[in-house]
Amino acid sequence: MRTLPDPSVRVRDTAVDLRSVTRLFGTVPAVVRVDLSIDRGEAVVLRGPNGAGKSTLLRIVATAISPTFGGGSVLGFDLIADREQIRARCELLTHRTRLYEELTALENVRVFTDLLELEPERADRALERVGLSAEAGERVRGFSSGMRQRVAIARTIARDPDLLLLDEPATALDQAARELVGSVIVDASARGRTVLIATHHDVPDGLHARVVSMRDGRIGAAA
Amino acid sequence: MTLVRHTAVIARKDLAIEIRGRHALGTLLPFAATLLVAFGFAFGPGREILARVAPGLLWMAVLFSAVIASRRAYQSETEDGALEGLLLAPIDKAAIFLGKATAVTAELLALVIAVLGLVIVLFEMPVGSPVPLVAAFVLGSVGLAVVGSLFGVVAESARTREAIFPMLVLPLVTPVLIAGVRATDLAAAGRTDDALAWLGLLAAFDIVFVSVGILVFGSLMED
Repeated sequence: MRTLPDPSVRVRDTAVDLRSVTRLFGTVPAVVRVDLSIDRGEAVVLRGPNGAGKSTLLRIVATAISPTFGGGSVLGFDLIADREQIRARCELLTHRTRLYEELTALENVRVFTDLLELEPERADRALERVGLSAEAGERVRGFSSGMRQRVAIARTIARDPDLLLLDEPATALDQAARELVGSVIVDASARGRTVLIATHHDVPDGLHARVVSMRDGRIGAAA
Repeated sequence: MTLVRHTAVIARKDLAIEIRGRHALGTLLPFAATLLVAFGFAFGPGREILARVAPGLLWMAVLFSAVIASRRAYQSETEDGALEGLLLAPIDKAAIFLGKATAVTAELLALVIAVLGLVIVLFEMPVGSPVPLVAAFVLGSVGLAVVGSLFGVVAESARTREAIFPMLVLPLVTPVLIAGVRATDLAAAGRTDDALAWLGLLAAFDIVFVSVGILVFGSLMED
């Protein structure tokens, strides 16, 4: 008798499960045989010097790039075969804000709420949360880097993803914006979202995170 | 229906960016007008010659404008890493291709209206059969926009994208150029029946490249 796949496999408690993941750019290894397991609802901070492979690892988990060797699962979905399922549930926030200069702050957020078929009001509420309600109708071309990052954070808040991936989210931000990023991370973690952060900066106050170090593309000792 | 909705979101976004950046009117129209006037000087003052070569000049202006418009459609995506945002959106990537092609088609048609008026006035091009004339420009603009949108994403990954993009696109759109010029010439002379065969070729080209784009665009976007 044929055995049907067990649907419960997709709701395991492991949010990220990477097995022997390697990524080469040409012949240069950026990530080398990384094994990483993150539980659902857990917060993990990746630390390491520039060029350690943190950003590449985050982009692999986000399915922006594929591993050259190895594999694994994210939120119970296969890293290669189920990319769209993973993308529907996770958000990658980087220092590149991915904004359109000629669109307003609200339009920039709404492009994604519309594509994800979320209620349009979520975009308004997210901009209110990051303190940009008054500037919602202004084009981001005239925004400072801190304001642009806030719009990117608003886009993330509007999505409310199960897995939040942050690559140096506090880079080039002023103190107020850093605190905002920190509060968004702490809030997401408190609501049971899984968080993976690559950062040189301090872990936000109130976030109970496991620290994992990376060097030369390899996972080092956990602190 | 989801594909249509997502296509509309992308097309609306691209058109808003183009209209606010005044790229279509601010760059393409002066470029096309200058090209026509320069060709006009090159062929001399003879009205008969100008009227005879007008369809070819018109299509050359549309072709080069299509190359510029298609490149521009991807520049706004790469300025701040926005293309990766679209890649990571859990949508059928064909919607990005169709949305961009729709926006570029709309820009080209707006340009054609202005440039056609210019050619009719300056070169005294006759308009024997308006319906096939309009059909030729609609079908031709779709063909140029589709090829430009498909190969725009390929060129984005190349370091020398400014040089590679025209080299990829121009040979492929030769059938559009030939069929467009012939259909315009015959329609201008009032030979509707003879123009139909060329319109059929343009329609077939559009169907083939829209189908190819829908099938392969997602793969071209992926790492």
